[in-house]
Amino acid sequence: MSRRAFRFACVMMMVATAAWAHHSGAGVDRTKTVTITGVVKEFRWTNPHSWIDLEVPDAKGAPVVWSVEMNPPPYLVRSGWKASTLKTGDKVSVTLNPIRTGEPGGIFVSVTLADGRVLDGRGAGPAPPRPAQP
Amino acid sequence: MMRRVAVAIAAAFTTAAGAVVVAQAPQPPAPAATAALARANLAKPRAKAPFDLTGVWLHGGGADNSFRFSPPTGFKLTPAAQVHYDAARKAQAENKVYRDDIGQCWPAGLPLIMTRVWPITMMQYPTVIYMVSEFMNSLRVIYLDGRPHSDPDVVVPSWNGESIGQWEGDTLVVDTRFFVGHHHWVDSGIPASDAMHVVERIKLLNDGTTLQIDYELTDPKSWEGTWKYTKRWRRVEDRDIAEVSCLPDLNEHMPTTKSGANVR
Repeated sequence: MSRRAFRFACVMMMVATAAWAHHSGAGVDRTKTVTITGVVKEFRWTNPHSWIDLEVPDAKGAPVVWSVEMNPPPYLVRSGWKASTLKTGDKVSVTLNPIRTGEPGGIFVSVTLADGRVLDGRGAGPAPPRPAQP
Repeated sequence: MMRRVAVAIAAAFTTAAGAVVVAQAPQPPAPAATAALARANLAKPRAKAPFDLTGVWLHGGGADNSFRFSPPTGFKLTPAAQVHYDAARKAQAENKVYRDDIGQCWPAGLPLIMTRVWPITMMQYPTVIYMVSEFMNSLRVIYLDGRPHSDPDVVVPSWNGESIGQWEGDTLVVDTRFFVGHHHWVDSGIPASDAMHVVERIKLLNDGTTLQIDYELTDPKSWEGTWKYTKRWRRVEDRDIAEVSCLPDLNEHMPTTKSGANVR
């Protein structure tokens, strides 16, 4: 990667990190990722954050709800998401940056859907085309 | 008997009708057209504005354009503010978050509302500029119609303050004061008090594609001297702002704001 490209990538990472946050992310360990597999309890397509509540069995098999915090829809759309991408009851794997306290939750990194598609939430792709105006 | 009753009723109606006529007689004067968008105010002759901010702007970010208003080198806080700053540093050392009021849905307020990295729609009229940040749809109003600041004993404090702008050559100089002095932060652990005073020198650069603001922040209740920053925004032509609200149930699903890492 050229020096200029590296600088651009760093800037884009800073922007992407700050863009969605309506709060501080200092309580999140950005150096770690955790992948959890479970069933979607609820997926909310909304501002300022979309979110997933994912039911994941603990070591004894009891369901634990993990809160997964996501970018707002305009970013997710650029990553290929739609409101219908997740439905209650879908079985998916989610990779996240965990909360440092060990509580079940974190910041969304990517999802592997039941059909094998992998989507991130960084919003790095181009904006989708808009319907033609009359 | 019946005739006397009818006469009495007719007399009563006549009196009431008369009273109505008397009450309508004095007409109150028409209110003065002092509002920013009053037609008479808009129609007053004014020098043409050097530039028009109307559009959508996004803080650019980058190493030399931080979205934060960090204290400058050698800064000195008041004892009251130092307590918060020390607590914030302690929390940071423990990987915790100190009083993240924005995360708890309190307004960001000036100056942070300007650099939330959410687009800001600006609408400029000869008498006023309206700014609506997509972030919580926070409204900021900058009056350009020559009015002075409000009576301090009457003005309603707000997180974005009362902004009065005037043109100085190719620069719009905006003076903002009358802030809410609680749940209002300039940076982590740096409280903005009701005595904060913000001066912005706004310029449009690069053929109208770059918005630059030089900031001067003073707050004698929180720090000594004047803190200065320069921030830049880029014009975005492919994005509209949308409704964004911090709803009561949002944080129930936000691990960052509900976790034990938050120091209240």
